[in-house]
Amino acid sequence: MRRVRPYRLARPSWCVPVIAYLLVFFVIPLIANLLRSRPVDAAIGGGPFFYYVKLLTDPYYAGVLLETTKVALITTFVCLLVGYPVAYFMVRFAGRWNALIVFCVVAPLLTSIIMRTFGWRVLLARRGVLNAWLLDWGLITRPFELADQPIAVYIGLVHVLVPFMVLSINAVLQGIDVQLEDSARVLGAGRLRTFWHVTLPLSVDGIATGCILVFVLTNGSFLTMLLLGGGRITTLSLLIYQQFSTTQDVGFAAAMGNVLMLVALLGFLLQFRLLRRRGVKP
Amino acid sequence: MSVRPHGGGNNTTAGAPVELADVSKSFGGVQVLKPLRLALVPGEMLALLGPSGCGKTTTLRLIAGFEAPDTGSIRVAGRDVTGLPPNKRGLGMVFQNYSLFPHMTVGENVAFGLRMRRTGRAEKARRVREMLATVRLDGYEDRLIHQLSGGQQQRIALARALATSPSVLLLDEPLGALDKNLRERMQFELRDIQRRLGITSILVTHDQEEALTMSDRVAVMAHGEVLQVGRPTEVYDRPLTRFVSEFLGTANIFAAVVTGANGPNRWSVALDAQPHAAGTVESPAALAPGQRVTLAVRPERLSLGPPTDGTVRATVRDVVFRGTYFAYELTASGQPQPVFAYTQLRQPVAADAAVGLSWEPGGAVILQDTA
Repeated sequence: MRRVRPYRLARPSWCVPVIAYLLVFFVIPLIANLLRSRPVDAAIGGGPFFYYVKLLTDPYYAGVLLETTKVALITTFVCLLVGYPVAYFMVRFAGRWNALIVFCVVAPLLTSIIMRTFGWRVLLARRGVLNAWLLDWGLITRPFELADQPIAVYIGLVHVLVPFMVLSINAVLQGIDVQLEDSARVLGAGRLRTFWHVTLPLSVDGIATGCILVFVLTNGSFLTMLLLGGGRITTLSLLIYQQFSTTQDVGFAAAMGNVLMLVALLGFLLQFRLLRRRGVKP
Repeated sequence: MSVRPHGGGNNTTAGAPVELADVSKSFGGVQVLKPLRLALVPGEMLALLGPSGCGKTTTLRLIAGFEAPDTGSIRVAGRDVTGLPPNKRGLGMVFQNYSLFPHMTVGENVAFGLRMRRTGRAEKARRVREMLATVRLDGYEDRLIHQLSGGQQQRIALARALATSPSVLLLDEPLGALDKNLRERMQFELRDIQRRLGITSILVTHDQEEALTMSDRVAVMAHGEVLQVGRPTEVYDRPLTRFVSEFLGTANIFAAVVTGANGPNRWSVALDAQPHAAGTVESPAALAPGQRVTLAVRPERLSLGPPTDGTVRATVRDVVFRGTYFAYELTASGQPQPVFAYTQLRQPVAADAAVGLSWEPGGAVILQDTA
């Protein structure tokens, strides 16, 4: 007797090419990197975790780790502050302008990071556009040096990463019925309390997703720090780049990469737990 | 349990619980609500009945404060609320899709309005218990919203709206999302709670049966205006226009000519389609012989009999058993639309049989518009 299988558009076997691809170009390199992070030179001593110990205990590298976390946290927070109102506006008020706003939000992602970063240099330089305007309006008397400053790094990072925040929050806000806000209003809540008691708690998933994405992506980016920071901000990813390109200390760079990877994994684990906990929704 | 609306000045003679004075509203150049005057009687349930796009929901949203009127003013419990935001109007509202907060328990939902008013903890808990008892869901405080059935969610939405003792309850298609049986049960239950609390209510619905079942008065709306306001039996039996007549149920429309007086407030008419067919209509207004009129006769007011003189000659097309009555579809010669007649018992007539239709003097109404 023939068993009639229910019709399915896709079959599990369709995943095979992707899995094979990821295995060869993702999983195997990761394992290789793990092995590479052990000191090759037995003469150095200190066991297989030598580089990790160095990274965590050496005051300079520990400082870099701390700075990495600080940069990521500040960037995430600023992205949230900037991104939430944009996402809220898009969902509740934009209407037919929504497509245009989506384009404007995604546009930074469509330009090359080098172009974008140099664009900011032009805008923020001592004789750049921003300073020229501020001088013209008489708001300042002497031009500021804004490029090669931490502020430039934050501006650059927020510019690139805010789309991830906006789109994450946007997706969740779309699912919140406006009538829930209307209900809260009739029940006596003003605009702020409606936001605080209804909209915000219901959009926590989007906020969490956006924050974790931005946090992890900040940890991974080094071009912005390299081109806009003027050496004033050194994060782990920038250090890896330097280890590879200047000192060629491959083992140490691999160890740092793995630490960064671990942070990213922890972030996603956190997000996963968060979504699972809030899981069942009508 | 006595739950009286505590809106300021409600128990004085400060005026109607809700009063709309020449309120109108346009969206993008389209007038969805023509200047509307409407006043509610304390404790009544008024239904705004009409097809989608008739302006009934806009009217409700204007009263709730979600929209601002272009002209006119809105008074709630004697207070002008036209410029006030929804949270300052002291109203209760129940939405079609329940609109319960999914991140809160049943108790937190019901307590939300009280929390916004910073009611004390003990009073809040007491009030939540009382409201849950009112909707017969005692002890449901700690349940989560998605654990409730549709009917239960609707009852919680009602409890939440009533918890703050609003001066007026707004119901926006409250039973629209429920299936037929449950909807009928909830109609009576909602009506019962509303009567018990004596809370003035406005019910928006497109379901004529729901409007007739639940309300003290029905306001039939179309194209942004109220066509007729009256008790359910009044608008059903004495519709002013063809639209009202047909929206509230099936109606047979006949064009006719007045032939003469036939008793106090009664006139004889001859149908255009069949001049030999005579009928009697009641009309409080005087009619002149020769005057052209449009008649509406409800299918249950038509009786089927042998095709004798003076009756409307018709041929039976189809008989449908509808559970509580038999529906006959007939064609009357000279009348382009089919004629419907409902009878309690099956009539001894076969398909294609010739029958005569007639009605009692009170069974026909004269409409204001022409056929």
